Amino acid sequence: MNKLSIEGVGKLFAARGGAEPTRALMPTTLDIADKDFITILGPSGCGKSTLLRIVAGLETASEGRVLLDGRPVTGPGADRGMVFQSYTLFPWLTIIENIAFGLRERGVAEAQRLDVARRWAQQVGLKGFENHYPKQLSGGMQQRTAIARALANDPEILLLDEPFGALDNQTRALMQEMLLGIWEREAKTVMFVTHDVEEAIFMASRVVVMSARPGRIKADIAVDLPHPRPYTIKTSAAFVALKERLVEEIRAEVMASA
Amino acid sequence: MKPLQPVSAPARVSYGIGFFALFVAVWAVATLGGFVPKLFLASPITMVEEGWALMTVHGFAYDIGITIWRVVGGFVLAALIALPLGIMMGAYKPVEAFFEPFVSFARYLPASAFIPLLILWAGIGETQKLLVIFIGSFFQLVLMIAVAVGGVRRDLVDAAYTLGSSDRSVVSRVLLPNAAPEIAEILRMVLGWAWTYVIVAELIGSSSGIGHMITDSQALLNTGQIIFGIIVIGLIGLISDFLFKWANQRLFPWASA
Repeated sequence: MNKLSIEGVGKLFAARGGAEPTRALMPTTLDIADKDFITILGPSGCGKSTLLRIVAGLETASEGRVLLDGRPVTGPGADRGMVFQSYTLFPWLTIIENIAFGLRERGVAEAQRLDVARRWAQQVGLKGFENHYPKQLSGGMQQRTAIARALANDPEILLLDEPFGALDNQTRALMQEMLLGIWEREAKTVMFVTHDVEEAIFMASRVVVMSARPGRIKADIAVDLPHPRPYTIKTSAAFVALKERLVEEIRAEVMASA
Repeated sequence: MKPLQPVSAPARVSYGIGFFALFVAVWAVATLGGFVPKLFLASPITMVEEGWALMTVHGFAYDIGITIWRVVGGFVLAALIALPLGIMMGAYKPVEAFFEPFVSFARYLPASAFIPLLILWAGIGETQKLLVIFIGSFFQLVLMIAVAVGGVRRDLVDAAYTLGSSDRSVVSRVLLPNAAPEIAEILRMVLGWAWTYVIVAELIGSSSGIGHMITDSQALLNTGQIIFGIIVIGLIGLISDFLFKWANQRLFPWASA
Protein backbone atom coordinates (compact mmCIF):
# COMPACT_ATOMS: atom_id res chain seq x y z
CA MET A 1 0.00 0.00 0.00
CA ASN A 2 1.25 3.50 -0.82
CA LYS A 3 2.00 5.76 2.11
CA LEU A 4 2.84 8.74 -0.06
CA SER A 5 1.76 9.50 -3.62
CA ILE A 6 3.38 12.29 -5.58
CA GLU A 7 1.16 12.92 -8.61
CA GLY A 8 2.57 15.07 -11.42
CA VAL A 9 4.15 17.53 -9.01
CA GLY A 10 6.16 20.28 -10.74
CA LYS A 11 7.56 23.62 -9.68
CA LEU A 12 8.08 26.89 -11.52
CA PHE A 13 9.78 29.83 -9.86
CA ALA A 14 8.44 33.21 -10.92
CA ALA A 15 11.05 35.38 -12.59
CA ARG A 16 11.46 39.11 -12.11
CA GLY A 17 10.32 41.70 -14.59
CA GLY A 18 8.10 39.63 -16.85
CA ALA A 19 10.82 37.16 -17.85
CA GLU A 20 9.93 33.50 -18.41
CA PRO A 21 9.55 31.67 -15.08
CA THR A 22 12.31 29.18 -14.25
CA ARG A 23 11.38 25.54 -14.06
CA ALA A 24 12.96 23.81 -11.09
CA LEU A 25 11.07 20.56 -11.26
CA MET A 26 9.37 18.75 -14.18
CA PRO A 27 6.01 17.16 -13.35
CA THR A 28 7.07 14.18 -11.25
CA THR A 29 5.14 11.11 -10.23
CA LEU A 30 6.39 8.86 -7.46
CA ASP A 31 4.82 6.41 -5.03
CA ILE A 32 6.39 5.49 -1.73
CA ALA A 33 5.25 2.29 -0.03
CA ASP A 34 4.48 2.10 3.67
CA LYS A 35 7.59 1.54 5.84
CA ASP A 36 9.85 1.93 2.82
CA PHE A 37 13.16 3.81 2.88
CA ILE A 38 13.78 5.64 -0.35
CA THR A 39 16.61 7.98 -1.22
CA ILE A 40 16.36 10.70 -3.85
CA LEU A 41 19.76 11.04 -5.50
CA GLY A 42 20.67 13.91 -7.77
CA PRO A 43 23.24 16.62 -8.52
CA SER A 44 22.97 19.91 -6.64
CA GLY A 45 20.25 22.22 -7.89
CA CYS A 46 18.26 19.42 -9.55
CA GLY A 47 15.10 20.18 -7.61
CA LYS A 48 15.27 17.23 -5.24
CA SER A 49 15.11 19.48 -2.18
CA THR A 50 12.25 21.40 -3.78
CA LEU A 51 10.36 18.13 -4.19
CA LEU A 52 10.96 17.25 -0.54
CA ARG A 53 9.88 20.71 0.62
CA ILE A 54 6.67 20.37 -1.41
CA VAL A 55 5.97 17.05 0.33
CA ALA A 56 6.66 18.77 3.67
CA GLY A 57 4.21 21.51 2.71
CA LEU A 58 6.86 24.24 3.02
CA GLU A 59 6.57 25.05 -0.69
CA THR A 60 3.51 24.88 -2.89
CA ALA A 61 3.57 22.87 -6.09
CA SER A 62 2.93 24.75 -9.33
CA GLU A 63 1.08 21.69 -10.60
CA GLY A 64 0.09 18.24 -9.39
CA ARG A 65 -0.58 17.13 -5.83
CA VAL A 66 0.83 15.13 -2.96
CA LEU A 67 -1.27 12.56 -1.09
CA LEU A 68 -0.38 11.19 2.32
CA ASP A 69 -2.50 8.15 3.20
CA GLY A 70 -4.83 9.28 0.40
CA ARG A 71 -5.34 12.78 1.85
CA PRO A 72 -3.96 15.75 -0.09
CA VAL A 73 -1.18 17.76 1.54
CA THR A 74 -2.12 21.43 1.90
CA GLY A 75 0.56 22.76 4.24
CA PRO A 76 3.18 21.73 6.76
CA GLY A 77 2.08 19.47 9.59
CA ALA A 78 3.26 17.17 12.33
CA ASP A 79 2.42 14.08 10.26
CA ARG A 80 5.50 14.77 8.10
CA GLY A 81 8.61 15.15 10.24
CA MET A 82 11.55 16.91 8.63
CA VAL A 83 15.29 17.06 9.24
CA PHE A 84 17.14 19.89 7.50
CA GLN A 85 20.68 20.15 6.24
CA SER A 86 21.28 23.30 8.29
CA TYR A 87 21.27 23.07 12.08
CA THR A 88 17.72 23.97 13.04
CA LEU A 89 17.60 23.20 16.76
CA PHE A 90 16.04 26.00 18.78
CA PRO A 91 19.04 27.57 20.49
CA TRP A 92 17.03 28.74 23.52
CA LEU A 93 15.83 25.22 24.37
CA THR A 94 17.88 22.42 25.90
CA ILE A 95 18.33 19.17 24.01
CA ILE A 96 15.47 17.49 25.86
CA GLU A 97 13.17 20.50 25.33
CA ASN A 98 14.07 20.54 21.64
CA ILE A 99 13.14 16.89 21.28
CA ALA A 100 9.87 17.50 23.16
CA PHE A 101 8.97 20.60 21.10
CA GLY A 102 6.45 18.90 18.82
CA LEU A 103 4.77 17.14 21.73
CA ARG A 104 4.42 20.45 23.56
CA GLU A 105 2.80 21.95 20.46
CA ARG A 106 0.32 19.10 20.57
CA GLY A 107 -0.43 19.79 24.24
CA VAL A 108 1.04 16.59 25.70
CA ALA A 109 1.50 16.89 29.48
CA GLU A 110 5.01 17.85 30.56
CA ALA A 111 5.90 14.67 32.45
CA GLN A 112 4.78 12.51 29.57
CA ARG A 113 6.53 14.50 26.85
CA LEU A 114 9.80 14.57 28.79
CA ASP A 115 9.48 10.80 29.16
CA VAL A 116 9.16 10.35 25.40
CA ALA A 117 11.95 12.85 24.75
CA ARG A 118 14.29 11.07 27.15
CA ARG A 119 13.64 7.77 25.42
CA TRP A 120 14.50 9.34 22.04
CA ALA A 121 17.58 11.06 23.41
CA GLN A 122 18.77 7.63 24.46
CA GLN A 123 17.88 6.07 21.08
CA VAL A 124 20.08 8.53 19.20
CA GLY A 125 22.91 8.25 21.71
CA LEU A 126 22.50 11.57 23.53
CA LYS A 127 22.10 10.24 27.06
CA GLY A 128 23.87 12.63 29.42
CA PHE A 129 23.41 15.64 27.12
CA GLU A 130 19.71 16.20 27.84
CA ASN A 131 20.23 19.51 29.62
CA HIS A 132 22.85 20.96 27.29
CA TYR A 133 22.07 23.80 24.91
CA PRO A 134 22.53 23.13 21.17
CA LYS A 135 25.58 25.39 20.86
CA GLN A 136 27.40 23.18 23.36
CA LEU A 137 27.06 20.18 21.04
CA SER A 138 28.98 19.10 17.92
CA GLY A 139 27.34 19.20 14.50
CA GLY A 140 26.78 15.44 14.54
CA MET A 141 25.09 15.58 17.95
CA GLN A 142 22.89 18.48 16.81
CA GLN A 143 21.70 16.44 13.83
CA ARG A 144 21.04 13.45 16.10
CA THR A 145 18.86 15.75 18.20
CA ALA A 146 17.09 16.99 15.07
CA ILE A 147 16.32 13.39 14.07
CA ALA A 148 15.08 12.58 17.58
CA ARG A 149 12.96 15.76 17.57
CA ALA A 150 11.28 14.75 14.30
CA LEU A 151 10.73 11.15 15.44
CA ALA A 152 9.45 12.01 18.93
CA ASN A 153 6.43 13.47 17.13
CA ASP A 154 5.72 9.99 15.71
CA PRO A 155 5.22 11.26 12.11
CA GLU A 156 3.67 9.16 9.33
CA ILE A 157 6.73 9.83 7.18
CA LEU A 158 10.20 11.15 7.94
CA LEU A 159 11.68 13.59 5.41
CA LEU A 160 15.40 14.24 5.43
CA ASP A 161 17.07 16.93 3.31
CA GLU A 162 20.79 16.06 3.10
CA PRO A 163 20.87 15.85 6.90
CA PHE A 164 24.51 14.74 7.05
CA GLY A 165 25.73 17.07 4.30
CA ALA A 166 27.65 19.36 6.64
CA LEU A 167 29.32 16.57 8.64
CA ASP A 168 32.78 15.06 8.17
CA ASN A 169 33.03 11.62 6.54
CA GLN A 170 33.56 9.57 9.71
CA THR A 171 30.69 11.23 11.58
CA ARG A 172 28.51 10.90 8.52
CA ALA A 173 29.13 7.12 8.35
CA LEU A 174 28.20 6.73 12.03
CA MET A 175 25.05 8.78 11.56
CA GLN A 176 24.01 6.66 8.57
CA GLU A 177 24.31 3.49 10.65
CA MET A 178 22.40 5.07 13.53
CA LEU A 179 19.52 6.21 11.30
CA LEU A 180 19.39 2.87 9.51
CA GLY A 181 19.29 1.12 12.89
CA ILE A 182 16.34 3.25 13.96
CA TRP A 183 14.53 2.52 10.71
CA GLU A 184 15.10 -1.21 11.10
CA ARG A 185 13.68 -1.10 14.65
CA GLU A 186 10.86 1.43 14.23
CA ALA A 187 9.72 0.63 10.68
CA LYS A 188 9.06 4.22 9.56
CA THR A 189 8.45 5.47 6.04
CA VAL A 190 11.47 7.56 5.07
CA MET A 191 12.24 9.88 2.17
CA PHE A 192 15.90 10.88 2.21
CA VAL A 193 17.45 13.40 -0.20
CA THR A 194 21.19 13.24 -0.88
CA HIS A 195 23.80 13.87 -3.55
CA ASP A 196 26.12 11.18 -2.13
CA VAL A 197 25.89 7.95 -4.13
CA GLU A 198 27.26 5.70 -1.39
CA GLU A 199 24.88 7.18 1.17
CA ALA A 200 21.95 6.74 -1.22
CA ILE A 201 22.65 3.02 -1.64
CA PHE A 202 23.61 2.22 1.94
CA MET A 203 20.47 3.71 3.44
CA ALA A 204 17.76 2.81 0.96
CA SER A 205 15.69 -0.03 -0.28
CA ARG A 206 15.06 2.09 -3.37
CA VAL A 207 17.14 4.82 -5.00
CA VAL A 208 15.37 7.39 -7.19
CA VAL A 209 17.86 9.18 -9.45
CA MET A 210 16.99 12.68 -10.62
CA SER A 211 18.28 14.51 -13.67
CA ALA A 212 19.98 17.89 -13.75
CA ARG A 213 17.77 20.98 -13.62
CA PRO A 214 14.90 21.01 -14.42
CA GLY A 215 14.66 17.85 -12.33
CA ARG A 216 12.82 14.76 -13.41
CA ILE A 217 13.08 11.12 -12.39
CA LYS A 218 15.75 9.46 -14.47
CA ALA A 219 15.99 6.04 -12.87
CA ASP A 220 14.31 4.12 -10.06
CA ILE A 221 16.56 1.36 -8.77
CA ALA A 222 15.77 -1.22 -6.10
CA VAL A 223 18.52 -1.97 -3.60
CA ASP A 224 18.29 -5.65 -2.66
CA LEU A 225 20.90 -5.68 0.06
CA PRO A 226 20.02 -7.60 3.22
CA HIS A 227 19.15 -6.04 6.59
CA PRO A 228 20.62 -5.37 9.08
CA ARG A 229 23.34 -3.74 7.03
CA PRO A 230 26.74 -3.42 8.66
CA TYR A 231 29.02 -0.67 7.32
CA THR A 232 31.26 -3.39 5.85
CA ILE A 233 28.58 -3.94 3.21
CA LYS A 234 29.95 -0.90 1.43
CA THR A 235 32.83 -3.01 0.13
CA SER A 236 30.72 -6.00 -0.96
CA ALA A 237 30.54 -6.87 -4.68
CA ALA A 238 26.80 -6.20 -4.94
CA PHE A 239 27.21 -2.76 -3.33
CA VAL A 240 30.13 -1.83 -5.58
CA ALA A 241 28.24 -2.92 -8.69
CA LEU A 242 25.27 -0.72 -7.73
CA LYS A 243 27.55 2.14 -6.95
CA GLU A 244 29.24 1.90 -10.36
CA ARG A 245 25.89 2.01 -12.06
CA LEU A 246 24.62 4.98 -10.09
CA VAL A 247 27.87 6.91 -10.40
CA GLU A 248 27.51 6.56 -14.16
CA GLU A 249 23.91 7.84 -14.06
CA ILE A 250 24.82 10.83 -11.89
CA ARG A 251 27.98 11.62 -13.83
CA ALA A 252 26.04 12.15 -17.02
CA GLU A 253 23.77 14.61 -15.18
CA VAL A 254 26.59 16.51 -13.55
CA MET A 255 28.27 16.86 -16.94
CA ALA A 256 25.04 18.19 -18.38
CA SER A 257 24.74 20.86 -15.71
CA ALA A 258 28.32 21.75 -14.75
CA MET B 1 50.20 44.34 18.95
CA LYS B 2 48.60 41.45 17.08
CA PRO B 3 45.18 42.22 15.56
CA LEU B 4 42.26 40.68 17.49
CA GLN B 5 44.57 39.12 20.08
CA PRO B 6 42.49 38.99 23.32
CA VAL B 7 43.70 40.61 26.56
CA SER B 8 43.51 38.90 29.95
CA ALA B 9 40.77 39.97 32.38
CA PRO B 10 43.10 41.72 34.89
CA ALA B 11 44.88 43.57 32.05
CA ARG B 12 41.54 44.68 30.64
CA VAL B 13 40.48 46.14 34.01
CA SER B 14 43.77 47.98 34.52
CA TYR B 15 43.69 49.42 30.99
CA GLY B 16 40.12 50.59 31.55
CA ILE B 17 40.96 52.25 34.88
CA GLY B 18 44.15 53.59 33.32
CA PHE B 19 42.33 55.81 30.89
CA PHE B 20 40.03 57.20 33.59
CA ALA B 21 43.14 58.06 35.63
CA LEU B 22 44.82 59.68 32.62
CA PHE B 23 41.69 61.70 31.89
CA VAL B 24 41.47 63.03 35.45
CA ALA B 25 45.22 63.71 35.46
CA VAL B 26 45.04 65.83 32.28
CA TRP B 27 42.03 67.66 33.73
CA ALA B 28 43.88 68.28 37.01
CA VAL B 29 47.00 69.58 35.25
CA ALA B 30 44.95 71.88 33.01
CA THR B 31 42.97 73.41 35.90
CA LEU B 32 45.28 73.23 38.93
CA GLY B 33 48.24 74.20 36.76
CA GLY B 34 46.40 77.39 35.84
CA PHE B 35 46.23 76.68 32.11
CA VAL B 36 42.45 77.10 32.06
CA PRO B 37 40.65 79.96 33.89
CA LYS B 38 38.59 78.82 36.92
CA LEU B 39 35.58 80.56 35.44
CA PHE B 40 35.41 78.09 32.55
CA LEU B 41 36.41 74.84 34.16
CA ALA B 42 36.56 73.82 37.79
CA SER B 43 39.38 71.57 39.00
CA PRO B 44 38.65 67.97 40.06
CA ILE B 45 39.10 68.98 43.70
CA THR B 46 36.59 71.86 43.46
CA MET B 47 34.22 69.51 41.67
CA VAL B 48 34.35 66.99 44.53
CA GLU B 49 33.86 69.75 47.12
CA GLU B 50 30.92 71.21 45.20
CA GLY B 51 29.47 67.77 44.80
CA TRP B 52 29.72 67.13 48.52
CA ALA B 53 27.98 70.44 49.20
CA LEU B 54 25.28 69.58 46.69
CA MET B 55 24.55 66.28 48.35
CA THR B 56 24.74 67.41 51.97
CA VAL B 57 23.44 70.98 51.84
CA HIS B 58 21.32 71.39 48.71
CA GLY B 59 19.47 68.05 48.78
CA PHE B 60 20.73 66.97 45.37
CA ALA B 61 19.79 63.35 46.12
CA TYR B 62 16.17 64.36 45.66
CA ASP B 63 16.94 65.77 42.20
CA ILE B 64 18.73 62.57 41.24
CA GLY B 65 15.74 60.56 42.39
CA ILE B 66 13.33 62.73 40.39
CA THR B 67 15.41 62.42 37.25
CA ILE B 68 15.70 58.63 37.57
CA TRP B 69 11.95 58.43 38.10
CA ARG B 70 11.30 60.47 34.93
CA VAL B 71 13.63 58.41 32.78
CA VAL B 72 12.35 55.09 34.04
CA GLY B 73 8.71 56.23 33.91
CA GLY B 74 8.86 57.56 30.34
CA PHE B 75 10.96 54.64 29.19
CA VAL B 76 8.74 51.97 30.72
CA LEU B 77 5.70 53.65 29.19
CA ALA B 78 7.37 53.67 25.76
CA ALA B 79 8.53 50.06 26.13
CA LEU B 80 5.06 48.84 27.19
CA ILE B 81 3.54 50.11 23.95
CA ALA B 82 6.57 49.58 21.70
CA LEU B 83 6.95 45.90 22.62
CA PRO B 84 3.58 44.61 21.35
CA LEU B 85 3.63 46.93 18.35
CA GLY B 86 7.22 46.04 17.41
CA ILE B 87 6.49 42.33 17.80
CA MET B 88 3.39 42.59 15.62
CA MET B 89 5.34 44.53 12.99
CA GLY B 90 8.21 42.03 13.02
CA ALA B 91 5.91 39.03 12.78
CA TYR B 92 3.21 40.23 10.38
CA LYS B 93 4.31 41.96 7.19
CA PRO B 94 1.03 43.84 6.49
CA VAL B 95 1.24 45.41 9.97
CA GLU B 96 4.82 46.38 9.20
CA ALA B 97 3.83 47.85 5.83
CA PHE B 98 1.15 49.92 7.59
CA PHE B 99 3.28 51.41 10.38
CA GLU B 100 6.87 51.22 9.23
CA PRO B 101 7.00 54.26 6.90
CA PHE B 102 5.43 56.53 9.50
CA VAL B 103 7.56 55.24 12.37
CA SER B 104 10.71 55.60 10.25
CA PHE B 105 9.74 59.22 9.65
CA ALA B 106 8.79 59.90 13.26
CA ARG B 107 12.08 58.44 14.45
CA TYR B 108 13.92 61.38 12.93
CA LEU B 109 11.76 63.98 14.66
CA PRO B 110 14.04 65.33 17.41
CA ALA B 111 12.44 64.79 20.81
CA SER B 112 13.97 68.02 22.10
CA ALA B 113 12.22 70.05 19.37
CA PHE B 114 8.90 68.86 20.80
CA ILE B 115 9.58 70.44 24.18
CA PRO B 116 8.00 73.85 23.40
CA LEU B 117 4.96 72.12 21.93
CA LEU B 118 4.72 69.71 24.85
CA ILE B 119 4.90 72.58 27.32
CA LEU B 120 1.98 74.11 25.47
CA TRP B 121 0.01 70.87 25.64
CA ALA B 122 0.98 69.42 28.98
CA GLY B 123 2.42 72.33 30.93
CA ILE B 124 5.74 72.09 32.72
CA GLY B 125 4.75 69.28 35.05
CA GLU B 126 5.78 65.64 35.09
CA THR B 127 3.55 64.69 32.14
CA GLN B 128 5.61 66.87 29.83
CA LYS B 129 8.90 65.32 31.02
CA LEU B 130 7.55 61.81 30.58
CA LEU B 131 6.28 62.68 27.10
CA VAL B 132 9.71 63.91 25.99
CA ILE B 133 11.28 60.61 27.05
CA PHE B 134 8.41 58.73 25.46
CA ILE B 135 8.77 60.46 22.07
CA GLY B 136 12.53 60.09 22.19
CA SER B 137 12.53 56.36 22.83
CA PHE B 138 9.23 54.97 21.52
CA PHE B 139 9.84 55.16 17.76
CA GLN B 140 13.40 53.90 18.07
CA LEU B 141 12.22 50.96 20.17
CA VAL B 142 9.42 50.01 17.78
CA LEU B 143 11.66 49.88 14.72
CA MET B 144 14.51 48.03 16.36
CA ILE B 145 12.23 45.47 18.02
CA ALA B 146 10.47 44.86 14.69
CA VAL B 147 13.80 44.19 13.01
CA ALA B 148 14.90 41.87 15.83
CA VAL B 149 11.67 39.84 15.69
CA GLY B 150 11.60 39.67 11.88
CA GLY B 151 15.25 38.67 11.72
CA VAL B 152 14.57 35.08 12.74
CA ARG B 153 16.26 32.37 10.69
CA ARG B 154 13.76 31.11 8.13
CA ASP B 155 14.74 27.46 8.66
CA LEU B 156 13.87 27.66 12.38
CA VAL B 157 10.36 28.74 11.42
CA ASP B 158 10.18 25.95 8.82
CA ALA B 159 11.31 23.44 11.44
CA ALA B 160 8.59 24.60 13.85
CA TYR B 161 5.91 24.23 11.17
CA THR B 162 7.02 20.68 10.37
CA LEU B 163 6.75 19.92 14.09
CA GLY B 164 3.11 20.94 14.04
CA SER B 165 3.29 24.57 15.22
CA SER B 166 0.36 26.85 14.43
CA ASP B 167 0.94 30.38 13.12
CA ARG B 168 0.33 31.80 16.57
CA SER B 169 2.68 29.45 18.28
CA VAL B 170 5.40 30.20 15.71
CA VAL B 171 5.18 33.79 16.96
CA SER B 172 5.08 32.97 20.67
CA ARG B 173 7.41 29.96 20.74
CA VAL B 174 9.90 30.74 17.97
CA LEU B 175 9.93 34.43 17.01
CA LEU B 176 9.73 35.75 20.58
CA PRO B 177 12.29 33.58 22.35
CA ASN B 178 14.57 33.93 19.34
CA ALA B 179 14.46 37.74 19.53
CA ALA B 180 14.39 38.06 23.35
CA PRO B 181 18.14 38.56 23.95
CA GLU B 182 18.34 41.12 21.17
CA ILE B 183 15.27 42.95 22.50
CA ALA B 184 16.88 43.11 25.94
CA GLU B 185 19.97 44.58 24.29
CA ILE B 186 17.83 47.15 22.45
CA LEU B 187 16.15 48.18 25.73
CA ARG B 188 19.57 48.65 27.30
CA MET B 189 20.74 50.84 24.44
CA VAL B 190 17.63 53.00 24.14
CA LEU B 191 17.51 53.53 27.91
CA GLY B 192 20.93 55.13 27.47
CA TRP B 193 19.50 57.51 24.88
CA ALA B 194 16.54 58.31 27.15
CA TRP B 195 19.05 59.76 29.62
CA THR B 196 20.11 62.40 27.13
CA TYR B 197 16.48 63.43 26.54
CA VAL B 198 15.61 63.78 30.23
CA ILE B 199 18.38 66.29 30.81
CA VAL B 200 17.28 68.36 27.82
CA ALA B 201 13.70 68.27 29.14
CA GLU B 202 14.89 69.42 32.57
CA LEU B 203 17.02 72.23 31.17
CA ILE B 204 13.85 73.97 30.03
CA GLY B 205 10.98 74.80 32.34
CA SER B 206 11.76 72.59 35.29
CA SER B 207 12.08 73.14 39.03
CA SER B 208 13.78 69.88 39.96
CA GLY B 209 16.06 67.21 38.56
CA ILE B 210 19.70 66.97 37.54
CA GLY B 211 19.12 69.10 34.43
CA HIS B 212 17.50 71.82 36.52
CA MET B 213 20.46 71.87 38.91
CA ILE B 214 22.79 72.24 35.90
CA THR B 215 20.93 75.31 34.55
CA ASP B 216 20.88 76.83 38.05
CA SER B 217 24.62 76.29 38.40
CA GLN B 218 25.21 77.90 35.04
CA ALA B 219 23.53 81.09 36.27
CA LEU B 220 25.91 81.05 39.25
CA LEU B 221 28.91 80.19 37.03
CA ASN B 222 29.49 77.15 39.24
CA THR B 223 31.24 74.80 36.78
CA GLY B 224 32.14 72.43 39.62
CA GLN B 225 28.46 71.65 40.21
CA ILE B 226 27.76 71.32 36.49
CA ILE B 227 30.57 68.80 36.06
CA PHE B 228 29.47 66.93 39.18
CA GLY B 229 25.94 66.69 37.74
CA ILE B 230 27.27 65.40 34.41
CA ILE B 231 29.43 62.81 36.17
CA VAL B 232 26.47 61.62 38.25
CA ILE B 233 24.51 61.05 35.03
CA GLY B 234 27.44 59.11 33.62
CA LEU B 235 27.68 56.95 36.74
CA ILE B 236 23.98 56.16 36.80
CA GLY B 237 24.19 55.22 33.11
CA LEU B 238 27.14 52.95 33.84
CA ILE B 239 25.31 51.23 36.70
CA SER B 240 22.10 50.68 34.72
CA ASP B 241 24.14 49.34 31.81
CA PHE B 242 25.92 46.94 34.11
CA LEU B 243 22.63 45.76 35.67
CA PHE B 244 21.12 45.17 32.23
CA LYS B 245 24.13 43.17 31.05
CA TRP B 246 24.14 41.14 34.23
CA ALA B 247 20.41 40.39 33.94
CA ASN B 248 20.69 39.49 30.25
CA GLN B 249 23.45 37.00 30.88
CA ARG B 250 21.36 35.31 33.54
CA LEU B 251 18.10 35.39 31.60
CA PHE B 252 19.58 34.16 28.31
CA PRO B 253 22.46 31.81 29.09
CA TRP B 254 22.01 30.13 25.69
CA ALA B 255 22.74 33.36 23.81
CA SER B 256 26.06 34.40 25.33
CA ALA B 257 29.05 33.30 23.30
